[in-house]
Amino acid sequence: MPQTAPNTEKLDEHLLEVVRALHGAVKQGVSHKDERKIMETAIKDCKEILDVIMEGNVQEWLN
Amino acid sequence: MFTDKIELKDFDKMDPEYKELLGHVLTIQADCEIGGPHLYVETMLPAAPTKLDQLIVARTAAEEIDHFRKIARVAGDIGVDVSFVLSQPNQQRFVDTFRGLITTWEDNAVFGFLIDRVGRYQLEEFYDCSYLPLQRILPDIVTEELGHIEYGYNKTLELVQSGDEEKAKAQKVVDYWYVRALDMFGHTGSKRSERYRYWGLKRRSNEQARQDYMNEVGPILTQMGLKIPDPNQGRRYL
Repeated sequence: MPQTAPNTEKLDEHLLEVVRALHGAVKQGVSHKDERKIMETAIKDCKEILDVIMEGNVQEWLN
Repeated sequence: MFTDKIELKDFDKMDPEYKELLGHVLTIQADCEIGGPHLYVETMLPAAPTKLDQLIVARTAAEEIDHFRKIARVAGDIGVDVSFVLSQPNQQRFVDTFRGLITTWEDNAVFGFLIDRVGRYQLEEFYDCSYLPLQRILPDIVTEELGHIEYGYNKTLELVQSGDEEKAKAQKVVDYWYVRALDMFGHTGSKRSERYRYWGLKRRSNEQARQDYMNEVGPILTQMGLKIPDPNQGRRYL
């Protein structure tokens, strides 16, 4: 078997959690599309999560 | 022509060229998956026209991050660390198309319609490929890409149907992205592409995939009431 790259599993698990959190926030917003406040909170939550991912500071996520 | 199917446990026994090509194509694919969100999250998440559109931008980004995750796992398992692309500046992306920033909603719509469609073509190259762990992750990824393409198509069509001014704007944006989409298929007669096919990692030559794309997109543009841009104007990779 080849040697796995460092942090492969940890990164996979972390990103899976991130993706689940994002989908949760989107679902919350979409299922309350007539309730402005809930929508705004959902968008804010998505933005916060995505800002961290776009920064790409992998070592910080995994430590 | 190599016709075997390879599992992770067989990877070490493979020819060095196979290992190099698989690692390379997975790195580029990972870069393209995360390169999309880096183009539009910062600008389009706050600027999408409705709150629902904002959430769809977030959902699209979530799906692309998940595609990155799946590709990164396949790469990591063969010892290729692709995590560096998560912090790579846009200007250093492997594919030119991802080196800028999407700043208008029109661009965002057409990007989904035309560029995510190229993404689907790139992924379809791996259908029935020789590396089975890669083949297994494709169906879910392609299904989600189809959703992005459809959303982009619908938003582009909305623009086209919003009046002459909006239609002209849509045409201009299509002209911009269409040539970039064609360039994404790479050089005609590429030697590397030939080796990918030899090892069963890709199905078509660059020129064949590009032609298939043009054959698919042309009639859609015409049906939308848009002109098919000149496929040679502004191209970098012929």
